[in-house]
Amino acid sequence: MVTPVSVLRMPKGPDPNSRGFDPKSPRFIALCRPSIPTSAVSDADAEQLQKEQHARSVLRERFLRCVLSMTNKNVRFHMHERVKVEATFGASDIDVLNFQVSDLHTPIGVQKEALIRSQDVISFTFDI
Amino acid sequence: MAMRQTPLTCSGHTRPVVDLAFSGITPYTSSSNGKPMLRQGDTGDWIGTFLGHKGAVWGATLNTDATKAATAAADFTAKVWDAVSGDEVLTLAHKHIVKTVNFTQDSNCLLTGGNDKLLRIYDLSCPEAAPQEIAGHSSAIKKALWCNDDKQILSAAEDKTIRLWDRSSMEEVKMLTFDTSVSSMEYMADGEILAITYGKTIAFYNALSLDLIKTVEAPAPINSASLHPEKDFFVAGGDDFKLYKFDYTTKEELESYKGHFGPVHCVRFSPDGELYASGSEDGTLRLWQTAVGKTYGLWKCVLPEDLGAENSEQLYTSPTEIKA
Repeated sequence: MVTPVSVLRMPKGPDPNSRGFDPKSPRFIALCRPSIPTSAVSDADAEQLQKEQHARSVLRERFLRCVLSMTNKNVRFHMHERVKVEATFGASDIDVLNFQVSDLHTPIGVQKEALIRSQDVISFTFDI
Repeated sequence: MAMRQTPLTCSGHTRPVVDLAFSGITPYTSSSNGKPMLRQGDTGDWIGTFLGHKGAVWGATLNTDATKAATAAADFTAKVWDAVSGDEVLTLAHKHIVKTVNFTQDSNCLLTGGNDKLLRIYDLSCPEAAPQEIAGHSSAIKKALWCNDDKQILSAAEDKTIRLWDRSSMEEVKMLTFDTSVSSMEYMADGEILAITYGKTIAFYNALSLDLIKTVEAPAPINSASLHPEKDFFVAGGDDFKLYKFDYTTKEELESYKGHFGPVHCVRFSPDGELYASGSEDGTLRLWQTAVGKTYGLWKCVLPEDLGAENSEQLYTSPTEIKA
C-alpha cells in the first residue's frame, strides 16, 4: 500500500493586499540595514564611520554584559500599555527578540515560565 | 511501507514561471511572466513580491546571502532589488529585452544578457558608469553566468553556441557548438560541473575545462535540469509536464513525477539538497522531496504506528521554523 507523505500545511501564498517583506518578520529584523546615520550616506567619511562603529561596539558590549549579569536576578520590566511586571531573568535569544523569564508576577497571577517579547519592553531595571 | 511523493504547490504567479533560483542559503526567488517573488526556500512560503517591471520577467536571481535580488525583463531593463525590504534599488536600461542576470560572489558586479546580443557587466558600486560590453554572439543571449571565481563568463545564445569569455581581456576563450538551441545552462556541485540541456539531452561538462563528462537522454524534450549537491542523482523537467529523476552514475531513470499541468520550464535543487523546486507554464512552483517521507520543511514523517492513532491531529499543529 502506497501512502502519500503527510504535510503540515500548504505553503503560504501571496497576500493580495500587500507586496510583503513584512518589517515585523524575524527575517527582516535580523537582516535590515544598520541604523548608523553615517554609514547610510554613500560618501561617508571613513574616520567618522570608524568613530561611530567604535561607539556602537562599546554600547553593544555594555548591553551584552548587562544581559549576562541579569541572569537569575529579579528584574522589573516597564512595558507598553503601562504594564509593570517583575520576574527572574533567564536569558535572551540571539537576536534579542525574546526574553525568557521565570516567576513572572502579573496582575492576574504568577506565571511560572514565560517569554517576554522584547519589542514590548520600554525599559527594565535590576539591582547588580 | 512505500511512501508516495506529495509535492507542495506554491501558487500566486498568474503567469508561467520561467526561472527560479536558490540563494546560497535558503530563500529563493522565482519569476513568472508576471511578478517575481521571493519565497522561503524550505517551505515555499511567500515572503514578498518585487513590484516595478512593466513587462514579462524572464530571469531572476539572488545573491549568495539573499540580501539582493536581480531581475531581467521584456521592458528592456534589468533591476536590482533589496531582498530584505523588497525595494527597487537600481534600474539598468538596455536596448532590448533582457533575458538573464547574475551576481558575482561578492555581489559587487551584475552580468546581464539579452536580445541585443551583448553581455554587459555593471559595477553596482557606481551604477551610473557605463557598463563594460562584450560582443560576439550572433543572436539573442539566453543565459549568462559568472564562473571560475568570477574571472570568466559563460554565455549561451540562440546562435546554438556556448561561449567562455575572460573577464579582464573581454575576449572569447572557448566555444561549444550544438545542433540545436540550448534550453538551459547551470553550474552544479559547487561550480565543479556544468549542466546543459538541449533537445532530449542533459549533458554534463567539467566546469573548468569544458570537457564533456557524459550525456543522458530523457523520454521527452527537456527544458531544465539540476544535479544534486552530492552528485548521486539529478532531476530534469520539460515539455511532457513531468519531473524525472535519474541516477547520475548509471544514467538510469529512477522515477518520474506527474503534477504540473504545463511544460516544466525550470528545476533546481536547494543548496542543502533536501528538496528541488520546479516552475511551470501552469503558473505554479512545486517543491519536491529528495528523500520521500523524510521530515523537512512542511513534510512530516509519519511512522506506521502513528497512522490511525487517536490523537493524530498533533501532527498538524507543530509550528514550522522560518530560516532566513
